[in-house]
Amino acid sequence: MSSLTVDISDIKLSAEPDDLIVTYALGSCIAVMVHDPVRVAGGMIHYMLPLSETSPEKAKTKPAMFADTGIPLLFQSMYKLGCRKQDLVVKVAGGGALYDDKGLFSIGKRNYTILRKMFWKSSVIIKAEDVGGARSRTARLYVGTGRCTITSQGEETEL
Amino acid sequence: MITPEEILARVKQLPTLSAAVARVAELARDERSSAADFEKVIRPDPALTANLLRIVNSAYFGLRTRAESVRQAVTLLGVRRTSEVAAAAALAPIIPGRLPGYQVEAHALWLHSVAVAVLSERLSGELRVKRPDLTFTAGLLHDVGKLAIGAFVEGASAEILARVREDGLSFVSAEREVLGVDHAEVGGMVSEAWRLPQAVVDAARWHHRPGEAPTRADRTLVDLVHVADALAHSLGMGTDIGEMARTVDEGTESRLGIRARCLERVAGESLDEIRDLARQLTPSGGNR
Repeated sequence: MSSLTVDISDIKLSAEPDDLIVTYALGSCIAVMVHDPVRVAGGMIHYMLPLSETSPEKAKTKPAMFADTGIPLLFQSMYKLGCRKQDLVVKVAGGGALYDDKGLFSIGKRNYTILRKMFWKSSVIIKAEDVGGARSRTARLYVGTGRCTITSQGEETEL
Repeated sequence: MITPEEILARVKQLPTLSAAVARVAELARDERSSAADFEKVIRPDPALTANLLRIVNSAYFGLRTRAESVRQAVTLLGVRRTSEVAAAAALAPIIPGRLPGYQVEAHALWLHSVAVAVLSERLSGELRVKRPDLTFTAGLLHDVGKLAIGAFVEGASAEILARVREDGLSFVSAEREVLGVDHAEVGGMVSEAWRLPQAVVDAARWHHRPGEAPTRADRTLVDLVHVADALAHSLGMGTDIGEMARTVDEGTESRLGIRARCLERVAGESLDEIRDLARQLTPSGGNR
């Protein structure tokens, strides 16, 4: 079994049933986990910011930094593995926030809003999610079974 | 509650940041300083010299010529930059393998320190505020208080976490309520004990409460470090047990004239730099 770590602004994919895909320290960033039980494949993105218009140059070299360039890339990469859209099970985690009344640190909220808009437009349904709150999360996706777990504040939960 | 004597005793037990850091920071502010002056201060410390040259020659600085000596580094980078690099080179070796109380590994604290240094500096450029002296160094050293009070925090962690979870306090407020002191206040004491410049002491002391910093402090600098610290935690760079349970000072936004989009731009532009720089040195207690 190998454990594939998804860094900030990164995507990892696997079609090896024994593999585990993991990302650590999701604060305001969001992890989208996609699993195909038919093809038995999984993929995960850990994106940092909502829109690539913030830094168009960065988006060219690091598309996974942004929701609007990274999420399509994740799905396209899954299709290249032979997955079909109708088989994909999608789960989402992260998008946390600080105690910030003025909304200066609204990155997590904006990350989530853009994601919802994109999924709504392309008819992608979120099967399960754990988002928001002043929490940091570690997300794991088991490629063989599609099992997802979230660890936060020392507790692990199933997603 | 911890007594001031207990804290002072702990501060004295800490490994000392190389005395060269305080001296080069002074040199950097004196226009008459020469590359030879820098060399005289740094070269007697071989580990510091080696670490400094390693960072100076990293991709982060993009030098066309390789610096082989402190003197060359100063010529190529300038006195201010070299003094900042010296602070980074001196911090890495004194970070312990694991910080008690905060449940953070050496690598994570190092990454967080570098992230706050780079983000503070980027923010000051983005906001077009007059760039305060020592922005990078103040960002880098803002959390040194954690090195001194970790053991006390660990002893009281159940109570502190209960205050965070049940009363909705920020982690630093819970520290203060339970221990009578917080890591920022202790950070001020540590950086004073290390004889660092007053601006660095003030940034460490007030980085969670910039609005309460005394008038003599460079409030722009304290605000920059405050925002950079919150941003680094928000992005998961060096997340510790305090996690995202932190408040943002009400006045910071208007004092800096900062907007949410600006933070996003700074975050996006800084990620590679932070990683590059953090990779150059491994904290003494850590491996990765």
